[in-house]
Amino acid sequence: MLDIEGLKVSFGEREVLKGVDIHLERGDALSIIGESGAGKTTLAMSIMGLLNGGCSGRIVLQGRDILEMGESRRREIRGDVMAMVFQNVEDALDPVYTISDQIEEAILVHHPMDKDRLRLRVDHLLIQVGLNREKGDAYPHQLSGGERQRALIAMALANDPQVLILDEPTASLDAMTKAEILGLLRESMRDRIGLVVTHDISAASRISNRMAVLYSGRILEMGDTEEVLARPLHPYTRGLLRSSPNMITTKDLQGIPGRMNSGVKGCPFHPRCTQHQQRCTFELPELRDVGGRMIACHRGGIVPLLEVRGLCRSFGPLKAVDGVDLNLCEGETLALVGESGSGKTTLARMIMGLTRLDSGEICLEGEPLEARSKEFYRRVQMIYQNPRESISHRMNVAEAIMEPLDVQGLGRSREKLERVLDEVELSSDPEFLNRYSHHLSGGEAQRVAIARALILDPKLLIADEPTSALDSSVQAKILRLLMDLQEKRGLAILLVTHDLALARKVSDRMAVMKGGKILEEGLTSDLLAHPLHQYTRELMESASGVDDDGVQVKARRQVEREGDCIEEQSFEVCRRPGTWQRMIRWMRSS
Amino acid sequence: MSMDDLSRGSGGWIDYTIARAIEWPGKAFSLLCKGGILANYIIAILIILSLNFLLPRMMPGDPLQAIYGDEALVAMTPQLEADLIHRFGLDLSIDQQFIAYLSALAHGDLGYSYYYGESVSQVILAFLPWTILLAGSAMMISTAIGLLLGMESGYRRGQPLDKLLLAGVIFLSGLPDFFIGILLLIVFGVSWRVLPLSGALTPYGDLHGTALALDLLRHLAAPLAALVIVRMTSTYLLTRNSMIATLGERYIVTARGKGCSERRIQYMHAGRNSLLPVVTSVGLHLPNIVTGALFVEIVFAYPGVGWLLYNSILSRDYPLIQGILLMVTLSVLTVNMAVDLAYRRLDPRVGNAH
Repeated sequence: MLDIEGLKVSFGEREVLKGVDIHLERGDALSIIGESGAGKTTLAMSIMGLLNGGCSGRIVLQGRDILEMGESRRREIRGDVMAMVFQNVEDALDPVYTISDQIEEAILVHHPMDKDRLRLRVDHLLIQVGLNREKGDAYPHQLSGGERQRALIAMALANDPQVLILDEPTASLDAMTKAEILGLLRESMRDRIGLVVTHDISAASRISNRMAVLYSGRILEMGDTEEVLARPLHPYTRGLLRSSPNMITTKDLQGIPGRMNSGVKGCPFHPRCTQHQQRCTFELPELRDVGGRMIACHRGGIVPLLEVRGLCRSFGPLKAVDGVDLNLCEGETLALVGESGSGKTTLARMIMGLTRLDSGEICLEGEPLEARSKEFYRRVQMIYQNPRESISHRMNVAEAIMEPLDVQGLGRSREKLERVLDEVELSSDPEFLNRYSHHLSGGEAQRVAIARALILDPKLLIADEPTSALDSSVQAKILRLLMDLQEKRGLAILLVTHDLALARKVSDRMAVMKGGKILEEGLTSDLLAHPLHQYTRELMESASGVDDDGVQVKARRQVEREGDCIEEQSFEVCRRPGTWQRMIRWMRSS
Repeated sequence: MSMDDLSRGSGGWIDYTIARAIEWPGKAFSLLCKGGILANYIIAILIILSLNFLLPRMMPGDPLQAIYGDEALVAMTPQLEADLIHRFGLDLSIDQQFIAYLSALAHGDLGYSYYYGESVSQVILAFLPWTILLAGSAMMISTAIGLLLGMESGYRRGQPLDKLLLAGVIFLSGLPDFFIGILLLIVFGVSWRVLPLSGALTPYGDLHGTALALDLLRHLAAPLAALVIVRMTSTYLLTRNSMIATLGERYIVTARGKGCSERRIQYMHAGRNSLLPVVTSVGLHLPNIVTGALFVEIVFAYPGVGWLLYNSILSRDYPLIQGILLMVTLSVLTVNMAVDLAYRRLDPRVGNAH
């Protein structure tokens, strides 16, 4: 019923929307997410015909093109056939009229009616949005933010519109009010065409059944809301999800490098995309269907970097690695967890080419690897558990870091050295560069090892217990560094560790390994919240080496009792990593 | 307290006043909280009355000399002096004097104008209607014109009409009202002879009904125009700015989203909200209009309070000057209060700001 085809909007020289196609049927609720400046509000306003800028393309509502209509005809449908719920900013409601007056106005400009019927209709609307006549007689400044938002919704619903457009409907509302308003909005959008413009992904996920990601005036990804959120295909969508806090994922927040520029040739996202190729810089990707998902990316979305199929390796009778399948995408962290002797390190060494495979296949960026060429090591690098031992004691810092350049015959470059030192937050003064590994602290040595691995710009970093030899404060910094590097250059990290608590904070996916086999593999948050394999549960119980009884801690908490008195309660609590996961399990099962 | 005490020991009654003043605010404050707006004005009136009472008494020298001027030095005998001191109540203590002053005021007694040989209140009352007519109509007309032009201009920001209006108004706003008055007088009164040169009515015209009204309007036209032309400019500029700011507000977009017509948006939403600062400014500009009227009355020899004040200053008629000043300040205050009350009706946010 609402068809948007090739919609372009420009203000003077600046093109804000660069060709947007959306098709919506009755009952559809499409959320449009993206950073500020992506053109979300412009899109909503252009559908409402509220823009002064130049629009081209078609916006067809019930067979009639809104862009071709005259202003008077547009005014007739605006607020009647289609309505907009404006963001509850300071002055979205006229301060000098009561709420009822403003709702009445919304009705009267389209459908003149007598006072009694009008009053009845307004009362009905007020009740529908959870207000009452008393609130209706109030002025905007006398209402709370949530009530004002309800009033704005009532105004939009006044003439029972077929198209309902919501512009940041829950921004500036507190969490409880937000939940109530979202429920109301979901109800209001039923049997209409809904369009939600927001940067709040969690709000969008609760009221829409379809989702479109808008970037720099173009749609990059569009599909079923739940699917997009569970499995983002476009790197930008993944970046958005990673940077928005939620109650589910356990990985620390990560941002998207750079910032949005509108005048970009080729793919609009390529300057910030960590997997862009030559082609992305000059050719615009079309929005096309990839297995039921619309996506605009030359590379078909996030690239699977490493694929491992049926990997086996035995040492005599011992099957160290026994038929392992793994996938690792660009910019993703896969944690390989398991106890010592489970075969994790062997697996890592096999991928790295340090241990021969008995059988199986390893594909890097889709191509099967036969022999490890020099070229392979430009793309895959490894860091080890004990950094001081992994750096030759005959080399000073500068030599150690630049050695890969020598090996690859790329020639030493002071510039590269300084850049990579800067990335790992080490100083590049000559005194430091002349030190030898035994002069370095553990943290510094690991940074040097990371710098050595990064100097070739690898796409995949295999980190074998990278922090187990370090103090926890240094460990935190090194892991933060790896996360930042991932954010900046899209580094895929295969993190081999026995520390579940650590893996939980830094990994997107987790694979549990025992006896050479992967027992369970999935999104880290899912896997820890619903461990399916008995061994995973055991691993969680014993995580961080605390025994089964846990640690008894005296805790204090201020609790409000009935009758407005706050009392402080002391209680004993068993603080044990893994406890809360069990609690969640218990809550879900009950 | 004798007159000697007054002049010699002025420190004494100043201390006393301060003591009173400290006592006052305590009571006044609670009143303010309860009575709100009205209490504010009652306090303002009391302060004005006190100042009006105190200022002449703080003038250096002899109050009798202040009242009777240099004659007091020549014609004053001790007998007459004692007589006058008693008559003016200067032998009373200062608070008794103040109470006497207040009760006299309450009876409408502002003193005695020796130049006109009448009580001050009667003199002022004879001249006041003309000033009310002039200043009142100037205020209303200039506000109305300023508002209308400002709304049109602000709504059409950057378009030819707006540019033309803006340039014209800025040019006019630079000219003082008496200058425009003189220009009008020369052009319409002297060169074209279509308007009378002075006065409020044709003397000995013996006109009635419509003819009287027309005569009155003919006399009023030029001074009124002079005032309106100048006073309209500030309202216009304020309305225009306020309109431009208001049109950028979100509720204008909300109104458009409802499908309101442009006229409705211009007047019911943008215009209505732009009214608020204008109403405040009308209150603030009232003293300007009054002083403007005083000057213009002098230019056109219009028999209003301004003209009266001018003449009473020339003739050193102190009681009359004092009475006029009191009357003017009180009327400014009254109009301010009216504006304040109107503002509460216009902007619901002010009503329960406390």
